[in-house]
Amino acid sequence: MVYWRKWLRILHRDIGYIAAGLTVIYAISGIAVNHVADWNPNYKIQNFESQIEPIADSLIGKEGLTQSILDQIGEKGKVKDVVYPDSSTMSIFVEDNTITVHLKTGLVEEEKVQSRTGIRETNFLHLNVPKKLWTWVADIFAVALLFLAISGLFMIKGKQGITGRGAWLTALGILIPVVFLIVYYYMD
Amino acid sequence: MNKALYALLTILFITAAAFGFGSKKYGKPLTLKEKTKVSVILANPKNYVGKKVLVEGTIIAVCAKRGCWMELASDKPFQKIKVKVNDGEIVFPMEAKGKKALLEGEIYEISYTKEEAIEHAQHLAEE
Repeated sequence: MVYWRKWLRILHRDIGYIAAGLTVIYAISGIAVNHVADWNPNYKIQNFESQIEPIADSLIGKEGLTQSILDQIGEKGKVKDVVYPDSSTMSIFVEDNTITVHLKTGLVEEEKVQSRTGIRETNFLHLNVPKKLWTWVADIFAVALLFLAISGLFMIKGKQGITGRGAWLTALGILIPVVFLIVYYYMD
Repeated sequence: MNKALYALLTILFITAAAFGFGSKKYGKPLTLKEKTKVSVILANPKNYVGKKVLVEGTIIAVCAKRGCWMELASDKPFQKIKVKVNDGEIVFPMEAKGKKALLEGEIYEISYTKEEAIEHAQHLAEE
Protein backbone atom coordinates (compact mmCIF):
# COMPACT_ATOMS: atom_id res chain seq x y z
CA MET A 1 0.00 0.00 0.00
CA VAL A 2 1.26 3.46 -0.81
CA TYR A 3 2.31 5.29 2.37
CA TRP A 4 0.14 8.38 1.76
CA ARG A 5 -2.93 6.20 1.19
CA LYS A 6 -2.47 4.63 4.62
CA TRP A 7 -2.54 8.07 6.25
CA LEU A 8 -5.46 9.13 4.10
CA ARG A 9 -7.44 6.17 5.38
CA ILE A 10 -6.52 6.89 8.99
CA LEU A 11 -7.54 10.54 8.66
CA HIS A 12 -10.73 9.64 6.76
CA ARG A 13 -11.67 7.15 9.45
CA ASP A 14 -11.03 9.40 12.45
CA ILE A 15 -12.48 12.58 10.96
CA GLY A 16 -15.45 10.45 9.85
CA TYR A 17 -16.03 9.36 13.45
CA ILE A 18 -15.94 12.97 14.67
CA ALA A 19 -18.22 14.16 11.87
CA ALA A 20 -20.81 11.41 12.35
CA GLY A 21 -22.84 13.19 15.04
CA LEU A 22 -22.90 16.49 13.20
CA THR A 23 -23.77 14.76 9.93
CA VAL A 24 -26.81 13.17 11.56
CA ILE A 25 -27.91 16.58 12.91
CA TYR A 26 -27.51 18.27 9.51
CA ALA A 27 -29.20 15.39 7.67
CA ILE A 28 -32.28 15.35 9.94
CA SER A 29 -32.63 19.13 9.78
CA GLY A 30 -31.92 19.09 6.03
CA ILE A 31 -34.93 16.86 5.41
CA ALA A 32 -37.04 18.91 7.84
CA VAL A 33 -36.36 22.31 6.25
CA ASN A 34 -36.39 20.88 2.72
CA HIS A 35 -40.16 20.48 3.11
CA VAL A 36 -40.82 23.85 4.72
CA ALA A 37 -43.50 24.55 2.09
CA ASP A 38 -45.52 21.57 3.34
CA TRP A 39 -45.03 21.65 7.07
CA ASN A 40 -43.57 23.71 9.88
CA PRO A 41 -40.19 22.17 10.81
CA ASN A 42 -40.03 23.86 14.23
CA TYR A 43 -43.55 23.88 15.60
CA LYS A 44 -46.67 21.76 15.65
CA ILE A 45 -49.51 24.26 15.25
CA GLN A 46 -53.09 23.23 15.93
CA ASN A 47 -56.07 25.47 15.20
CA PHE A 48 -59.42 25.21 16.91
CA GLU A 49 -62.66 27.16 16.62
CA SER A 50 -65.44 27.55 19.14
CA GLN A 51 -68.42 29.80 19.65
CA ILE A 52 -69.32 31.99 22.61
CA GLU A 53 -71.87 34.76 23.00
CA PRO A 54 -70.94 37.96 21.12
CA ILE A 55 -69.21 40.50 23.37
CA ALA A 56 -71.22 43.66 24.06
CA ASP A 57 -69.37 46.91 23.38
CA SER A 58 -69.89 47.93 27.02
CA LEU A 59 -67.80 44.94 28.18
CA ILE A 60 -64.78 45.61 25.98
CA GLY A 61 -61.73 46.43 28.06
CA LYS A 62 -63.55 45.69 31.33
CA GLU A 63 -61.97 43.70 34.13
CA GLY A 64 -63.15 40.09 34.18
CA LEU A 65 -63.88 39.84 30.44
CA THR A 66 -60.68 37.92 29.68
CA GLN A 67 -61.24 35.41 32.49
CA SER A 68 -64.88 34.97 31.46
CA ILE A 69 -63.82 34.09 27.89
CA LEU A 70 -61.10 31.74 29.12
CA ASP A 71 -63.59 29.99 31.41
CA GLN A 72 -66.03 29.53 28.51
CA ILE A 73 -63.44 27.84 26.30
CA GLY A 74 -61.84 25.88 29.15
CA GLU A 75 -58.41 27.50 28.92
CA LYS A 76 -56.57 27.44 32.25
CA GLY A 77 -53.16 28.76 31.17
CA LYS A 78 -51.53 31.87 32.55
CA VAL A 79 -52.41 35.04 30.62
CA LYS A 80 -49.34 36.84 29.22
CA ASP A 81 -51.15 39.82 27.73
CA VAL A 82 -54.38 41.00 26.12
CA VAL A 83 -54.35 43.18 23.01
CA TYR A 84 -57.04 44.70 20.78
CA PRO A 85 -55.41 44.62 17.31
CA ASP A 86 -58.49 46.21 15.76
CA SER A 87 -61.90 47.42 16.87
CA SER A 88 -63.63 44.06 16.38
CA THR A 89 -60.91 41.67 17.58
CA MET A 90 -59.45 40.77 20.95
CA SER A 91 -56.25 38.72 21.24
CA ILE A 92 -55.54 36.85 24.46
CA PHE A 93 -52.03 35.44 24.78
CA VAL A 94 -51.75 32.41 27.02
CA GLU A 95 -48.69 30.17 27.36
CA ASP A 96 -48.51 28.17 24.08
CA ASN A 97 -51.96 29.40 22.97
CA THR A 98 -53.08 32.50 21.10
CA ILE A 99 -56.81 33.13 21.39
CA THR A 100 -58.46 35.45 18.90
CA VAL A 101 -61.97 36.56 19.83
CA HIS A 102 -64.17 38.09 17.14
CA LEU A 103 -66.12 40.38 19.43
CA LYS A 104 -69.15 40.98 17.24
CA THR A 105 -69.79 37.33 16.30
CA GLY A 106 -68.43 35.49 19.33
CA LEU A 107 -66.25 33.26 17.15
CA VAL A 108 -63.15 32.17 19.05
CA GLU A 109 -60.05 30.92 17.24
CA GLU A 110 -57.29 29.19 19.14
CA GLU A 111 -53.78 28.57 17.84
CA LYS A 112 -51.93 26.11 20.05
CA VAL A 113 -48.20 25.86 19.44
CA GLN A 114 -45.94 23.01 20.50
CA SER A 115 -42.24 22.90 19.82
CA ARG A 116 -41.05 19.91 17.76
CA THR A 117 -38.53 18.83 20.36
CA GLY A 118 -35.44 17.28 18.79
CA ILE A 119 -36.00 18.47 15.23
CA ARG A 120 -36.20 22.11 16.32
CA GLU A 121 -32.83 21.79 18.03
CA THR A 122 -31.25 20.32 14.88
CA ASN A 123 -32.71 23.22 12.85
CA PHE A 124 -31.32 25.66 15.42
CA LEU A 125 -27.81 24.38 14.75
CA HIS A 126 -28.17 23.62 11.03
CA LEU A 127 -29.49 27.12 10.23
CA ASN A 128 -26.81 28.71 12.44
CA VAL A 129 -29.26 30.54 14.66
CA PRO A 130 -26.78 30.75 17.58
CA LYS A 131 -24.09 32.43 15.41
CA LYS A 132 -21.01 33.24 17.60
CA LEU A 133 -18.59 30.30 18.02
CA TRP A 134 -21.00 27.89 16.32
CA THR A 135 -20.26 29.62 12.99
CA TRP A 136 -16.67 28.40 13.27
CA VAL A 137 -17.71 24.90 14.31
CA ALA A 138 -20.03 24.71 11.28
CA ASP A 139 -17.27 26.00 8.98
CA ILE A 140 -14.80 23.42 10.31
CA PHE A 141 -17.45 20.74 9.84
CA ALA A 142 -17.93 21.87 6.21
CA VAL A 143 -14.17 21.64 5.60
CA ALA A 144 -14.16 18.20 7.24
CA LEU A 145 -16.95 17.06 4.90
CA LEU A 146 -14.95 18.36 1.95
CA PHE A 147 -11.95 16.36 3.13
CA LEU A 148 -14.09 13.23 3.62
CA ALA A 149 -15.53 13.60 0.11
CA ILE A 150 -12.16 14.05 -1.58
CA SER A 151 -10.23 11.55 0.53
CA GLY A 152 -13.01 9.03 -0.03
CA LEU A 153 -12.22 9.08 -3.75
CA PHE A 154 -8.69 7.83 -3.17
CA MET A 155 -9.21 5.32 -0.35
CA ILE A 156 -9.22 2.30 -2.62
CA LYS A 157 -6.97 1.60 -5.59
CA GLY A 158 -7.51 -0.73 -8.50
CA LYS A 159 -10.68 -1.65 -10.39
CA GLN A 160 -13.00 -0.59 -7.56
CA GLY A 161 -11.14 2.71 -7.05
CA ILE A 162 -11.22 6.09 -8.72
CA THR A 163 -9.48 4.72 -11.83
CA GLY A 164 -12.19 2.08 -12.34
CA ARG A 165 -15.77 1.70 -11.09
CA GLY A 166 -15.30 4.64 -8.71
CA ALA A 167 -14.80 7.01 -11.65
CA TRP A 168 -18.17 6.10 -13.13
CA LEU A 169 -20.00 6.46 -9.83
CA THR A 170 -18.26 9.76 -9.10
CA ALA A 171 -19.24 11.02 -12.56
CA LEU A 172 -22.84 9.97 -11.88
CA GLY A 173 -22.80 11.90 -8.61
CA ILE A 174 -21.59 15.03 -10.42
CA LEU A 175 -24.01 14.54 -13.30
CA ILE A 176 -27.14 14.43 -11.10
CA PRO A 177 -26.91 18.07 -9.85
CA VAL A 178 -25.71 19.22 -13.30
CA VAL A 179 -28.83 17.77 -14.97
CA PHE A 180 -31.10 19.41 -12.38
CA LEU A 181 -29.30 22.73 -12.85
CA ILE A 182 -29.77 22.57 -16.61
CA VAL A 183 -33.46 21.68 -16.32
CA TYR A 184 -34.52 23.87 -13.37
CA TYR A 185 -32.05 26.76 -13.50
CA TYR A 186 -31.08 27.35 -17.12
CA MET A 187 -34.12 26.02 -19.00
CA ASP A 188 -36.96 26.88 -16.58
CA MET B 1 -52.18 57.15 0.04
CA ASN B 2 -54.45 57.16 3.06
CA LYS B 3 -53.01 56.96 6.55
CA ALA B 4 -54.26 53.44 7.34
CA LEU B 5 -52.56 51.98 4.27
CA TYR B 6 -49.41 53.96 4.88
CA ALA B 7 -49.22 52.69 8.45
CA LEU B 8 -49.57 49.15 7.20
CA LEU B 9 -46.56 49.63 4.99
CA THR B 10 -44.37 51.15 7.66
CA ILE B 11 -41.86 48.55 8.72
CA LEU B 12 -39.33 48.57 11.49
CA PHE B 13 -36.39 46.85 9.85
CA ILE B 14 -33.97 45.35 12.31
CA THR B 15 -30.48 45.17 10.86
CA ALA B 16 -27.60 45.87 13.18
CA ALA B 17 -29.89 45.95 16.16
CA ALA B 18 -31.24 43.95 19.03
CA PHE B 19 -34.38 43.09 20.83
CA GLY B 20 -35.23 41.43 24.08
CA PHE B 21 -38.23 40.09 25.89
CA GLY B 22 -38.18 38.80 29.39
CA SER B 23 -34.60 37.81 30.03
CA LYS B 24 -33.82 36.82 26.43
CA LYS B 25 -31.72 39.03 24.22
CA TYR B 26 -31.26 38.70 20.48
CA GLY B 27 -28.96 40.34 17.99
CA LYS B 28 -26.54 43.09 18.87
CA PRO B 29 -26.74 45.20 22.03
CA LEU B 30 -29.20 48.09 22.05
CA THR B 31 -27.60 51.46 21.49
CA LEU B 32 -30.50 53.87 21.97
CA LYS B 33 -31.75 54.90 25.40
CA GLU B 34 -34.82 56.95 24.54
CA LYS B 35 -37.94 55.04 23.46
CA THR B 36 -40.27 56.22 20.71
CA LYS B 37 -43.95 55.32 21.01
CA VAL B 38 -45.29 53.24 18.11
CA SER B 39 -48.36 55.46 18.00
CA VAL B 40 -46.15 58.51 17.51
CA ILE B 41 -44.38 56.80 14.58
CA LEU B 42 -47.65 55.73 12.99
CA ALA B 43 -49.14 59.21 13.41
CA ASN B 44 -46.50 60.63 11.13
CA PRO B 45 -44.43 57.81 9.61
CA LYS B 46 -42.75 59.93 6.95
CA ASN B 47 -40.87 61.80 9.68
CA TYR B 48 -39.27 58.54 10.82
CA VAL B 49 -38.37 56.85 7.52
CA GLY B 50 -34.64 56.12 7.56
CA LYS B 51 -34.31 56.86 11.26
CA LYS B 52 -33.24 54.44 13.98
CA VAL B 53 -35.74 54.06 16.83
CA LEU B 54 -36.16 52.13 20.06
CA VAL B 55 -39.73 50.88 20.52
CA GLU B 56 -41.56 48.79 23.10
CA GLY B 57 -44.73 46.76 22.83
CA THR B 58 -46.43 43.39 22.99
CA ILE B 59 -45.55 40.89 20.27
CA ILE B 60 -48.87 39.92 18.69
CA ALA B 61 -47.74 37.85 15.68
CA VAL B 62 -44.62 35.96 14.63
CA CYS B 63 -43.66 34.38 11.31
CA ALA B 64 -44.40 30.72 12.04
CA LYS B 65 -42.16 29.17 9.41
CA ARG B 66 -38.96 31.17 9.44
CA GLY B 67 -39.29 33.55 12.39
CA CYS B 68 -38.29 36.36 10.03
CA TRP B 69 -40.92 38.92 10.97
CA MET B 70 -43.22 39.83 13.80
CA GLU B 71 -45.88 42.38 14.62
CA LEU B 72 -45.71 44.65 17.61
CA ALA B 73 -48.83 46.14 19.17
CA SER B 74 -48.86 49.88 19.54
CA ASP B 75 -49.28 51.68 22.84
CA LYS B 76 -52.70 52.68 21.49
CA PRO B 77 -55.46 50.17 20.64
CA PHE B 78 -56.08 49.05 17.05
CA GLN B 79 -52.53 49.84 15.88
CA LYS B 80 -49.52 47.65 15.16
CA ILE B 81 -46.18 47.86 13.42
CA LYS B 82 -44.40 45.22 11.39
CA VAL B 83 -40.87 44.20 12.38
CA LYS B 84 -38.61 42.51 9.84
CA VAL B 85 -35.09 41.12 9.84
CA ASN B 86 -32.90 39.79 7.08
CA ASP B 87 -33.81 36.10 6.91
CA GLY B 88 -31.69 34.15 9.36
CA GLU B 89 -30.12 37.18 11.03
CA ILE B 90 -32.42 36.85 14.02
CA VAL B 91 -35.04 34.09 14.32
CA PHE B 92 -38.06 35.21 16.32
CA PRO B 93 -39.45 32.28 18.34
CA MET B 94 -43.21 31.71 18.38
CA GLU B 95 -43.08 31.57 22.18
CA ALA B 96 -42.48 35.32 22.03
CA LYS B 97 -46.13 35.97 21.23
CA GLY B 98 -47.81 37.89 24.02
CA LYS B 99 -44.51 38.97 25.58
CA LYS B 100 -43.18 42.49 25.81
CA ALA B 101 -40.36 43.38 23.46
CA LEU B 102 -37.89 46.21 23.44
CA LEU B 103 -36.32 46.54 20.03
CA GLU B 104 -34.20 48.78 17.95
CA GLY B 105 -34.14 49.23 14.22
CA GLU B 106 -34.65 51.51 11.29
CA ILE B 107 -38.02 52.59 9.90
CA TYR B 108 -38.55 51.71 6.26
CA GLU B 109 -41.32 52.65 3.88
CA ILE B 110 -42.32 49.95 1.42
CA SER B 111 -44.49 50.96 -1.50
CA TYR B 112 -46.56 48.37 -3.33
CA THR B 113 -48.70 48.46 -6.41
CA LYS B 114 -52.16 46.94 -5.87
CA GLU B 115 -50.99 43.66 -7.46
CA GLU B 116 -47.84 43.56 -5.32
CA ALA B 117 -49.88 44.22 -2.18
CA ILE B 118 -52.20 41.30 -3.01
CA GLU B 119 -49.22 39.05 -3.76
CA HIS B 120 -47.56 40.06 -0.47
CA ALA B 121 -50.77 39.38 1.49
CA GLN B 122 -51.06 35.94 -0.13
CA HIS B 123 -47.44 35.18 0.74
CA LEU B 124 -48.07 36.12 4.38
CA ALA B 125 -51.23 34.00 4.46
CA GLU B 126 -49.25 30.99 3.21
CA GLU B 127 -46.72 31.47 6.02
